[in-house]
Amino acid sequence: MADLTTKFASLTLKNPVTTASGTFGYGLEYANFYDLQKLGAVIVKGIKSTPSDGNKMPRVCEVAGGMINAIGLQGPGVDAFLHGDHYLPALKKTGATVIVNMWGTSVGEYADVAARFDAENDGIAALEVNISCPNVKAGGAAFGTDVKLAGEVISAVRRAVKKLPVIVKLSPNVTDITEFARVAEAEGADAISLINTLSAMAIDIEKRRPRIANVTGGLSGACVKPVAVRMVYQCHKAVKLPILGMGGITCGADAVEFLLAGATAVSVGTANFVDPYAPLKVIDFLNDYLDRHHFKSVSEIVGALEL
Amino acid sequence: MAQAIIQENSILHGDYRKIVFAVPEMANTAKAGQFVHVRIDERLDHMLRRPFSIHDTDPAKGTLTVVYKIVGAGTHILAEKTPGECCDLLGPLGTTFTPCADDVVPVAVAGGYGSAATFLLTRECKQKVVLLIGARTQSELVLDDAYRACGCDVRVATDDGSCGVKGRVTALIAPLLAENPGKKFFFYGCGPLPMLLALAKTLRELGLDGELSMDEIMCCGVGACFGCVVKVNDPASPQKWHYERSCVDGPVFPLEKIYLEH
Ligand SMILES: Cc1cc2nc3c(=O)[nH]c(=O)nc-3n(C[C@H](O)[C@H](O)[C@H](O)COP(=O)(O)OP(=O)(O)OC[C@H]3O[C@@H](n4cnc5c(N)ncnc54)[C@H](O)[C@@H]3O)c2cc1C
Ligand SMILES: Cc1cc2nc3c(=O)[nH]c(=O)nc-3n(C[C@H](O)[C@H](O)[C@H](O)COP(=O)(O)O)c2cc1C
Ligand code: FES
Repeated sequence: MADLTTKFASLTLKNPVTTASGTFGYGLEYANFYDLQKLGAVIVKGIKSTPSDGNKMPRVCEVAGGMINAIGLQGPGVDAFLHGDHYLPALKKTGATVIVNMWGTSVGEYADVAARFDAENDGIAALEVNISCPNVKAGGAAFGTDVKLAGEVISAVRRAVKKLPVIVKLSPNVTDITEFARVAEAEGADAISLINTLSAMAIDIEKRRPRIANVTGGLSGACVKPVAVRMVYQCHKAVKLPILGMGGITCGADAVEFLLAGATAVSVGTANFVDPYAPLKVIDFLNDYLDRHHFKSVSEIVGALEL
Repeated sequence: MAQAIIQENSILHGDYRKIVFAVPEMANTAKAGQFVHVRIDERLDHMLRRPFSIHDTDPAKGTLTVVYKIVGAGTHILAEKTPGECCDLLGPLGTTFTPCADDVVPVAVAGGYGSAATFLLTRECKQKVVLLIGARTQSELVLDDAYRACGCDVRVATDDGSCGVKGRVTALIAPLLAENPGKKFFFYGCGPLPMLLALAKTLRELGLDGELSMDEIMCCGVGACFGCVVKVNDPASPQKWHYERSCVDGPVFPLEKIYLEH
């Protein structure tokens, strides 16, 4: 059996397979299905400073090969996540490697939340910073689609965090994602993850209404994979930072595509909704694939695309 | 999660179908109000699971029955499945209806396929269930016969008056109370959201208690995505409500939690 151990920034993961933020709750929702220690890491749903309600219903709809969601980042806030019964304290007990996904509505809030997690980091392996969120002060434009704002957020988080590795999660809703990867590198991020969901919309023609209450939402699932693989490939060429690749991974073969394109590790997202065991199936496939191609360790196929 | 073998997939009437799954591990544990989350298609086009109330179980035979209405792509695909084929089921999921005490009369109030969700109460409650069932028209009534076959008192309301009382199902409540002075009742509601909200309002006005099963769009079915939330009363919050997930905190909610202005 090949070695799946994955060095990702300063982390050593058991394997390169993680669960994408927002698709795996706070981990415990899936603890009844299998031992969460089998995963490279569990990435929890995005947390901000205070509790947030999220958007109106309907929040999700299915489209060919995927889904659109506008959950609106409903969450318990930092305090409840760190100390509440159903969150980090319980997740820690499972022995899972935990990466906390976080967000804010201002540069200051990003820095504050990051500092809190860095200070109370027991049981947290890394921070994943979701910059695809609306900037309330700047009329709601996403931080992650404006290079200057993205730079400010990343720099503020970097200065606020002393211990935890910082993974910056990039938005695909930009013309050139490598600009954002370069900013992340320049501002001192330890890694990047991509892609977040693609801005999308679907219409119920009988009701002549948008299919989700927020009108637009984020597209995810199998249909986004080719876009995601392309972006991972471009970022891998543009920067030296390790990449956590995701977007439409539904099986092990999909994950191998991301690794070959240059991702060091991967996240399984929407596929969890279809098959809770999807991440474990990806791990099994990786083992088989590496053996079949006579690789000794998974690191050998990272960026090993032949042109 | 289990692979369930389809034993039967038959027409009840119109667009309503009854599907029987051989899935012993779920047949033994399922309770009234719970649902199964069905992976209808292995292909990627309609990959998300669909939730269906558990209509009935037979632990001895190891079977679980769902009654569904063909409304869209997923239920169309389900209707084409034949006995011997497999479906991947998650379940039983969600909160349960609480069987009422022996001296209390259980009253199921159902709209559309809602009568499927309350049927297991006929097995779980000591007293005979009263079914108040509403539909647009007679051909949209589902499972009223199954309740009658169990000896239940079945009362019907249709919007067009084609069967039973002309009007809404909630109009059947007052006469039931008037006929049975001194009796204690507990209500179990399941149906479309507007019907449930009207039911909640009526029950509160009459000082009655019960539980309602909320029908919201679902995605993961296990509490992970927050795609299925409903508003529940929260006196402590400034807006007086907060969201809970209908798949794990529900689908069955106590009447006092239901927030009326959805
Ligand atoms: C707890 C619960 C119990 C249910 N029990 C039954 C039952 O016993 N019998 C029955 O016929 N139907 C039941 N439903 C509704 C059933 O899930 C939908 O009718 C079905 O998902 C429609 O799928 P579709 O692909 O045919 O329709 P489409 O409209 O094409 O579905 C598109 C998407 O919307 C979702 N969706 C659409 N309508 C609903 C709805 N009302 N509730 C939840 N998701 C929806 C689907 O899951 C799918 O993701 C129940 C729903 C819930 C939440
Ligand atoms: C329902 C849902 C909720 C999500 N919530 C978050 C979130 O809170 N934070 C975040 O950074 N990404 C969130 N995402 C994006 C995913 O983490 C992931 O980047 C994206 O879905 C692409 O992967 P996939 O196609 O495998 O799902 C969410 C995605 C979905 C489908
Ligand atoms: S369906 Fe995902 S949280 Fe309820």
